[in-house]
Amino acid sequence: MTAAIPSIALVGNPNAGKSSLFNALTGARQKIANYPGVTVERKAGHASFADGRPLSLIDLPGTYSLTPASLDEAVTRDVILGRQAGEARPDALIVVLDAANLDNHLCFALELLALNVPTVIALNMVDLATRDGLTLDAERLSRDLGVPVVPTVAVRRRGLAELLAAVDGAIRTHQPRDAVAGPLNDSSLHQRARAIARAAIVSETPVRRWTQRVDNVVLHPLFGMIILLALMFVMFQAVYAWAAPPADALEGLVGTMQAWIVDHIPQNFLRDLVVEGLLAGVGAVVVFLPQILILFLFILLLEASGYMARAAFLMDGLMGKVGLSGRGFIPLLSSFACAVPGIMATRAIPDEKDRLTTILIAPLMTCSARLPVYALIIAAFIPNRGVGGTGIGLQGLVLFGLYIAGIVGALIVAFALRRTVAKGTGAGFMMEMPRYQMPRLRDIALGLWQRAWIFLRRAGTIIALTTIVLWLLLTFPKAPDGQSQVEYSVAGRIASGLEVAVAPIGFNHDIALALIPAMAAREVAVSAMATANAIDAGDDEEAMAATLGERLQGKWSLATALAFLAWFVFAPQCISTIAITRRETNGWKWPLFMVGYLFALAYVAAGITYWTAVAFGLG
Amino acid sequence: MTALLDRTPLGVMVRIARIDWTAMSDDEGRRLREFGLMEGCEVTPLHRGSIFSRDPLALTVGRMKVIIRARQAAAIEVEPA
Repeated sequence: MTAAIPSIALVGNPNAGKSSLFNALTGARQKIANYPGVTVERKAGHASFADGRPLSLIDLPGTYSLTPASLDEAVTRDVILGRQAGEARPDALIVVLDAANLDNHLCFALELLALNVPTVIALNMVDLATRDGLTLDAERLSRDLGVPVVPTVAVRRRGLAELLAAVDGAIRTHQPRDAVAGPLNDSSLHQRARAIARAAIVSETPVRRWTQRVDNVVLHPLFGMIILLALMFVMFQAVYAWAAPPADALEGLVGTMQAWIVDHIPQNFLRDLVVEGLLAGVGAVVVFLPQILILFLFILLLEASGYMARAAFLMDGLMGKVGLSGRGFIPLLSSFACAVPGIMATRAIPDEKDRLTTILIAPLMTCSARLPVYALIIAAFIPNRGVGGTGIGLQGLVLFGLYIAGIVGALIVAFALRRTVAKGTGAGFMMEMPRYQMPRLRDIALGLWQRAWIFLRRAGTIIALTTIVLWLLLTFPKAPDGQSQVEYSVAGRIASGLEVAVAPIGFNHDIALALIPAMAAREVAVSAMATANAIDAGDDEEAMAATLGERLQGKWSLATALAFLAWFVFAPQCISTIAITRRETNGWKWPLFMVGYLFALAYVAAGITYWTAVAFGLG
Repeated sequence: MTALLDRTPLGVMVRIARIDWTAMSDDEGRRLREFGLMEGCEVTPLHRGSIFSRDPLALTVGRMKVIIRARQAAAIEVEPA
């Protein structure tokens, strides 16, 4: 052995539990989900053998064979064969097999064994196999395959030490010889796999599977769809109902901090910067943390339980009508949290035009950054009451409507794109449906913590920086007495110029002012308005005590508020999304196309909303 | 007595008699085989479509549950198991 740290790749079929095993081995902070195609990025981590020597682990995207059908599967092949640029060929492979799905997963394992790299088999999720009435003989399997086989339960950290010991042994005792020539024929490979699997199965008790009964309801053509809609509806109602107490507490905390500083520190430039700029701006965004966490809680639970693939099944019929596939549902649902991971998840879509269309409509899914904007405007302008004596809140209903508007817009745009710029043959949809699993509290908590951290880091960097710049632009030059500081400032003058362009769709000076910094990230629109209002309020304690929503209520018409909401359903105001689209489509053509069509849609949608509302006397 | 998989009743196990590989792309054909769908294997169609469409089709093959489109199922001839 050389002194270099051995590099070991985890490889296997989708849903074999590779990511869980990777997490258990490395303790890496990483998302675990239950549908094929979650692992699209290179994920590396470190672990150590029992004697303390380090090793590095790579988690490769799940695939069925060494012949890739999509971009992420190509990564797996290239790394294993040592063709991936910047990545050394792994010294050993851990082939992860789902114990309950042995005959199928063994096909890929046999293909990998033919490469003659040091290999150890992790017979994973043996607990679930037992649940399904399956008893396996790992030693028999090991004899038939000629490599060590270690039973593991990744989520319970069982078999990990044995696995690493076996890897160590495999590297030490490996005898280099030529790989078996040529790819194996599909059907002979399958026959061998099936024979080996059959030999390894000690007993197979048919267990009446409750999961099938669940699927009979969940995948029912009508009831399944109703359940899916109900789940999404509950999710968006919960975002409102559950988040209110912690959000109020956070808002109170920010107000207390501002008041304390104003009371204890004499007025100077720095104090104003902190109180009016930093605290008003960042604070206005941070109060939405509870809502964003609740949204992610639902998405993580749906992923981890295995329901997400069911939702993809149900949605495929509808998505197929506009030229997409159920595969696109997973990236699009992720886009409800954030379009950036959503667009990255499109790498699992095999058809190129299908993938491009999915990327282009991903920003129409209402991402969590829009939530602060929607939440502020809805709380200020939509009465907090039930609808027709039911328990359904009007505010939640409006929010639900905004999500639906984005989805319907996306379907129409997809339909148009697939007949024009992204023309192609009908996309296919072939996907494995994972078994139901109880989500692990620890994984969900870890996922939520990551989201909270990403959000707070954004609040602390991009949002803090833009708020400070905006505050400076709003504060200078100083307005003479009797004139509004906000109107007189540099930012105010720029906004007045922009106002000319957006006045026809009902946008006022406040909005024009918020639109420019909101290019950095949508939620900055809220902090921009908060900062401008804080400056307007100055040291007037009463004005400062009024929430931003209350202050907007006094200044905006309902028609303007509704037009502003309609704008944000479509507007591409997020630099990260534009950047990731450029990366994923290899050029500026498609991101520019995306920005262009989204701004045009936003303008038209806001206009139509405003003019309609005015016609109904809401101006 | 054969039928096409996109028309067979749900919940009844059938054996794949023949697959018309020319009716689909090479990639689709390979993915079908990777799922274990090939001549001679037994499958049970379980769920078909939603209110929107007859697409897609969920079926069990071995211990695995997979989803395919009706277009591919129409290329698969099955006989009673």
